[in-house]
Amino acid sequence: MAEVLFPQLSEREPDAEGVLATWFVGDGDQVASGQLIGEVMVEKVSGEVLAPTAGQVHLLVGEDQTARQGEVIARVD
Amino acid sequence: MSATDTTATAAGAPAARRLTTARALAEGIGQEMERDDNVVVLGEDIGAYGGIFGSTGGLLEKFGPERVLDTPISETAFIGLGIGAAVEGMRPIVELMFVDFFGVAMDQIYNHMAKIHFESGGNVKVPMVLMTATGGGYGDAEQHSQCLWGTFAHLPGMKVVVPSNPADAKGLMIAAIRDDNPVVYMFHKGIMGLPWMAKNPRSVAHVPEEAYETPIGKAAVVRPGKDATVVTLSLSVHHALDVAEKLAPDGVDLEVIDLRSLVPLDTATILSSVAKTGRLLIVDEDYQSFGLSGEIAARVVETDPGLLRAPLRRVAVPDVPIPYARSLERAVLPTPERIEAAVHDLVKA
Repeated sequence: MAEVLFPQLSEREPDAEGVLATWFVGDGDQVASGQLIGEVMVEKVSGEVLAPTAGQVHLLVGEDQTARQGEVIARVD
Repeated sequence: MSATDTTATAAGAPAARRLTTARALAEGIGQEMERDDNVVVLGEDIGAYGGIFGSTGGLLEKFGPERVLDTPISETAFIGLGIGAAVEGMRPIVELMFVDFFGVAMDQIYNHMAKIHFESGGNVKVPMVLMTATGGGYGDAEQHSQCLWGTFAHLPGMKVVVPSNPADAKGLMIAAIRDDNPVVYMFHKGIMGLPWMAKNPRSVAHVPEEAYETPIGKAAVVRPGKDATVVTLSLSVHHALDVAEKLAPDGVDLEVIDLRSLVPLDTATILSSVAKTGRLLIVDEDYQSFGLSGEIAARVVETDPGLLRAPLRRVAVPDVPIPYARSLERAVLPTPERIEAAVHDLVKA
């Protein structure tokens, strides 16, 4: 199992909150290691979310919900 | 490819790959850069920043600063640079950040890019793509919200393409790069799937991994229907589909045509749809007068004035600049509310 973290986009404010903009995969989908699975945004800067390993993805934060940088936003089993 | 591709998969099955329009566009450019060393990209903030609307994201890291050039803020200089490179055999994609900025560079665009192949009797080609962002709806006012595709389509010598969804965005870009003519590629900011713009469910969709062309000059019937034809393009395709889905339970069956290209215009697809439905609504986010909507109306009636069973309708921007005030901007844009009202008029007539 691997945790997927909200990427660190703002170095100046490590605790800044962002928004989960888009999931490119559905809950329960099979993903490949390194696959682009989501896009997040802090302020108006967007960043990629990649699958850390291959497996079945479980999405823990919905689209348009806020999350802290570094927070667990998905799991790959 | 069409806007109605579905990506539903059973839980646990490998998912069909989905991309935003911006990522699909950047992927198409990247695949062509891999295939052909003559393909280069230049423009303001297209390198390190990846394009302010994400159209060139990741290309600088992959291909380096010799093929992905951040330029100074001089549209005349860098569009001219692109034309020169194209004349010498390269295949540049030049981004004009907002189409609204065309004015300062129109001599390069219209007196050179669009005319060199004609002036030389076809001996000198200009295989260039002029890519630019269009459209309003997010409070960016008079100088950052226009569509202006009718302006470029009016002036001979340039192909003009306008995608509405991720798959077509990639396929039309690849077709534009491979075309030996100058192609103006106009994407609406509202279809790009950008996190900071209004969410649009059709701006994230399945996109095939391999390189493919979406044919230039071929419209798509994105929703078949029998009661009335809605001819439209770009973001308005999404609005028209939303209205069609809303009205279907009331027994109004709309056919929606996504033009995808303005030049060449797929007149045959429009005519065969109007021949079937007898009713025509044209939805265009560009200015109403002297533009696309009038041209389509003319092509229908000059072919056969008997095709229409009711007067045609137009929903376009009335002839005023795009206002900044939110309420006024909503009043002039071709919103779903305006489209729905026009459909009611049309099917009752």
